[in-house]
Amino acid sequence: MPDLLIFSRNKSTSVEQLDDQTIKSTCRLQDTFTNGFIGIIVKLPELEIKEVTGKFSRTLHGKCLDLSEAFKKIVGVRIGPGMSKIIRGIADDATECRHFGCIVEECCHGVILSLTKDAMLLIPEGYELTEDDYKNLVKSNIRLYNRCAAFAPGSRIVEGVEPP
Amino acid sequence: MSTMLKFSRNKLVSVRKGEQDTLVVHGLLDDDIYGLELDIIFRISNLEIISIDGKWNRWTTPECKRSVQFLPEAVGLCAGKEGFAQEVHKIVGRKACRHYANLLIECGYSAQEAVIAIKYQAARVESPDLTLTEFLNDESQNEQEALSSHVVDRNAQVTEKHSARPNLSLTDIIAKKKSSGMLIDLHVHTSPASPCSSAPVDQIIEQAKRVGLDAICLTDHNYAWEPHRMDNLIRKHGFLVLRGNEITTNQGDVIVFGLDRDITGIIGLDDLRREVLAVGGFMIAAHPIRGFLVLGAEEIGLTPQKAMERPLFKSVDALEVLNGKVTEKENKFASRVALGLGLFATGGSDAHEVSEVGKYATRFFDSIKNEKDLVAALKTGNYSPVALR
Repeated sequence: MPDLLIFSRNKSTSVEQLDDQTIKSTCRLQDTFTNGFIGIIVKLPELEIKEVTGKFSRTLHGKCLDLSEAFKKIVGVRIGPGMSKIIRGIADDATECRHFGCIVEECCHGVILSLTKDAMLLIPEGYELTEDDYKNLVKSNIRLYNRCAAFAPGSRIVEGVEPP
Repeated sequence: MSTMLKFSRNKLVSVRKGEQDTLVVHGLLDDDIYGLELDIIFRISNLEIISIDGKWNRWTTPECKRSVQFLPEAVGLCAGKEGFAQEVHKIVGRKACRHYANLLIECGYSAQEAVIAIKYQAARVESPDLTLTEFLNDESQNEQEALSSHVVDRNAQVTEKHSARPNLSLTDIIAKKKSSGMLIDLHVHTSPASPCSSAPVDQIIEQAKRVGLDAICLTDHNYAWEPHRMDNLIRKHGFLVLRGNEITTNQGDVIVFGLDRDITGIIGLDDLRREVLAVGGFMIAAHPIRGFLVLGAEEIGLTPQKAMERPLFKSVDALEVLNGKVTEKENKFASRVALGLGLFATGGSDAHEVSEVGKYATRFFDSIKNEKDLVAALKTGNYSPVALR
């Protein structure tokens, strides 16, 4: 028997800067059972979600076909630490569509990563970050300490850095 | 108009049947910053992870690759179980890398749906005309029946292992407290009441005594401690333990005192405010200014003046301006916001580990013997946040 896939999923998130104060993030999902997208408009510097749009054309159980109420409830949420809990909580309450919360979260992560990318672009071309640069990054934001394997004890980056 | 994308991330998950009762899942995450892959084998019958391996293609720090060695700790997790995503965040996200966690969750959910595809294909062998909708309806009926026999009482999961000391009265204990002011950590999380905490309540209380606090407030996430359990803890440890609740609202976390209700899920900030005012309670915006891991609040252009406009700050009585989980800069920023808005300021460790208790606290100049006293004292503003180390 040929070695066929039984399921496949593509999830793609794209972030656009509409103007100095406005970011649009869209996540598209296409898999064996589902096809749809959700887009959010976010205002800087508050990173508040101002608008949510989206549409699903194919979905398991038809649970994602009408999300208009869920969209309204996400408006006003701020992107930032602790947002996952808020988004998942609102999504669980507002809709049975499991993809909704995941996709909104994906849009929000896209926004954060786009801002991280902006910061990385400030590093001069050709400059290789040194171990000390990373150490200083941890020292300036100790919340990074033990946040993942790269910043955990045992990593060269946190050698000599006082734990919080 | 021509515009360039500011950022893009693509995730691809493919699932095929493996040998015997297994699913072979390959996940790929590729974005402007990171590139990584996962190869996972799940057991079909319960969606348990049997093996997992990862590979980095692009990374940010020279130590990112260390994360691969921690991936096997996910072996044994079941993608079909409730709480799978939280477990992955806790185990893989914190110990290995949050981007691996993100991809693993995507792979787990895909494996769940792959099982539906397998079952549907099998059902069609017997009934070739069976539509997907008909099949799903049958499946969801079976699920409902299975669910009804597995109702879990959340409170029942939290049990105290030790009984209270019978020979010490509550009045005796409280009478020992200083009448000239008290040092109270207003923000403490315990395990298992807060899933993100690893600190058992008994150890938290003993640590609070060791570091010289006069009382602590248990502010577990959306968790209402029962009064008799607090009394038992007070008697057992000879130490004042007060009830609070860190409630997640649609505008962020709020520490609430004086509200007895167990709130599950996310509550609207306005609804919470109405409830708290109705019972004469008190609300504190927890860690009101928290930046991202790499970017601080100010790096994205946020100023104290701009932050003062947040709806959250219009519906609380105080701001937590010393919080143990944010940076010094963020605490200072929060102080400026509190000052600008004329809101009271408090301090709390936000301890999730035993060693973190009492890093920050609030010094009250009134005597506090119980929850009622605490709420009354909070409303007077006769206190100040303090850093103890």
